[in-house]
Amino acid sequence: MKRILVIFKKELKDTLRDRRTVMMMVVFPLVLIYLVMSLTFSLSRSQTRKAEEKVITVGLITTGNAGVFREKLAKSKNVVIKEDIAVAKISELIQAKTLDFAVVFEEGFDRKVQEKGSGDVQLYYKASNENSIAKKRIDAVFTEYKKELLNARLAELKLDRAFVEPVKVNINDLSTAKEKIGESIGGLLPYFFILFCFLGAMYPAIDLAAGEKERATIETLLTSPASRLQIVIGKFMVVTLAGIFSALVAILALYMSLRGAKEIPPEMFDALFRIIEYRSIGMLLSLLVPLCVFFAALLLSVSIYARSFKEAQSMVTPLNILVIVPVLIGLFPGIKLTAVTALIPVLNVSLATKEIISGTIQTGLLVEVYVSLFVLAAAGLYFCAQWFKREEVIFRGI
Amino acid sequence: MIRVDKLCKQFKLSRKQKQEIEGGHAHNTLMAVADVSFTCTPGRIFTLLGPNGAGKTTALRMMATMLKPTSGTITIAGFDTVKEAGQVRGKIGFLTGSTALYERLTPNEIIKYYADLHGMDSDKFKKRKQELFTLLGIDEFADRRIGKLSTGMKQKVSIARTMIHDPEVVIFDEPTVGLDVITARSIIQLIRSCKEQSKTVIFSTHIMGEVSLLSDDLAIIHKGKLLYNDTYEQFFKQLKSRTIEDEFIRIVSSAGGVA
Repeated sequence: MKRILVIFKKELKDTLRDRRTVMMMVVFPLVLIYLVMSLTFSLSRSQTRKAEEKVITVGLITTGNAGVFREKLAKSKNVVIKEDIAVAKISELIQAKTLDFAVVFEEGFDRKVQEKGSGDVQLYYKASNENSIAKKRIDAVFTEYKKELLNARLAELKLDRAFVEPVKVNINDLSTAKEKIGESIGGLLPYFFILFCFLGAMYPAIDLAAGEKERATIETLLTSPASRLQIVIGKFMVVTLAGIFSALVAILALYMSLRGAKEIPPEMFDALFRIIEYRSIGMLLSLLVPLCVFFAALLLSVSIYARSFKEAQSMVTPLNILVIVPVLIGLFPGIKLTAVTALIPVLNVSLATKEIISGTIQTGLLVEVYVSLFVLAAAGLYFCAQWFKREEVIFRGI
Repeated sequence: MIRVDKLCKQFKLSRKQKQEIEGGHAHNTLMAVADVSFTCTPGRIFTLLGPNGAGKTTALRMMATMLKPTSGTITIAGFDTVKEAGQVRGKIGFLTGSTALYERLTPNEIIKYYADLHGMDSDKFKKRKQELFTLLGIDEFADRRIGKLSTGMKQKVSIARTMIHDPEVVIFDEPTVGLDVITARSIIQLIRSCKEQSKTVIFSTHIMGEVSLLSDDLAIIHKGKLLYNDTYEQFFKQLKSRTIEDEFIRIVSSAGGVA
């Protein structure tokens, strides 16, 4: 045990002095998440504002009908109406961006409405993100116009609104605030901490195994009284710790970027933290440990096989996909934690995280996730230790 | 004392290695060391001489417990290298010309690391470290990172690393390869001082100058087989060629290979 600690301390010191590893473990998640999240928030905010404030040009053909609609549209902010256009030219004008929208009322529209019928209106536009926000402004004018016409009809016929609304569905969402947060943030959280747990463990694993081979320091270590098992456990502990640390940094970065986001009012943020209990945080961390153990074993096994740092990098990089895919599957709607999904590594952590934050995790399934992760971690560690003992692996390329 | 008895090491060849050897017509295995026996005694320097790829490094790696013999045995300081590998590693010091040091650590940290791995107690460590650092002149750069040191300085740290636990047996695998004359001389001095301290010393080389300078006992190895094993004095007496280099080439050539 003493030798393992000696190796662990030395490897930790060596790792923390490696600028590349520290960048990947601390600076990368901290800066990247903060920047990405802040940029996303600020971009989406500015895009929405831009779309809302954008002056839209609406081609309007009423052929003498829908005077009220015209008035309402003209009163709308940032709307320019063009009426001297032909129907046949609409497509061309929209393609040329001379018009953003075109509204065409059919001939005899007013007459049809007066006769209690439906008048047809054609709305032309090009669907895009920006236009879909602007379209809401046109929709709002239509909604108000329709409401006015309907109210006038009901008043004339002396009918209550219930006449045209025989079924009134009242939505009662019984999901708690905690469950709602679990569904939204719970899906996002594992994406960050699983990915950065893997990325954080990646460089130390490459440096401590393939790097040691490449720098030709492994021979002297192998001739020291430390056994191969002690060496691999010492290295493995550092890689695991790096993964856990990186995941925690990623969570911290996520917290900081959410806290700084103007879209989330501080009181909502405080409420969110009141909802997420310490117990949930503890459970999440307890999932993180076996996951990191598994990642460390996997990465160290691949890395020790590689002849050089570069070869290890090219062997480890495709493994990223093996991590990202299950996390993404966990984000799909309808994918739930079941007796089967609880056994699938990475996916089970992703799904269990959502349920833990929502407070809906079933003890049986959580136990299954733990068992699955610990079995996998133990198998990974055992394999790594056995792999490390093989001469053809250790001396490959030396 | 090192006792090597009927030592064999066979490697499985990968497809690529097969391709490199005899254009792919080689067997699936390569006998790197074949039926080698010799004894190294304390207070004498045993030289393992052979051309590149002769099996010297493989033999020394087996002595240092890095590789396991396919058959045969090695006993170091009374311990079997397979059954008592841990004890063997506690008794040996291993230095090669190709091994490096941890670039991000300082000499102080590296020496402490290896002393801790050897389980040295604090007082013994401090005394031994001071002896070595003074002898090698490491004190002035003891707290500078290895990455910032010159090759000569690094080699001094490597020597201190090898000798910190005062090993009974010291294994040198081509220790002067790639070193400048001054640094190589410090290694030669180290080998001599090991002999003076009655340690068992084995060193491998393909440099004839080192052979005549250091050897008490000599073994010539080629294609994994031991072609000669006697004292250097005897080797010199029985010379059938003009120089020891010519004699070495003659022995190797007569065994079916040219050095």
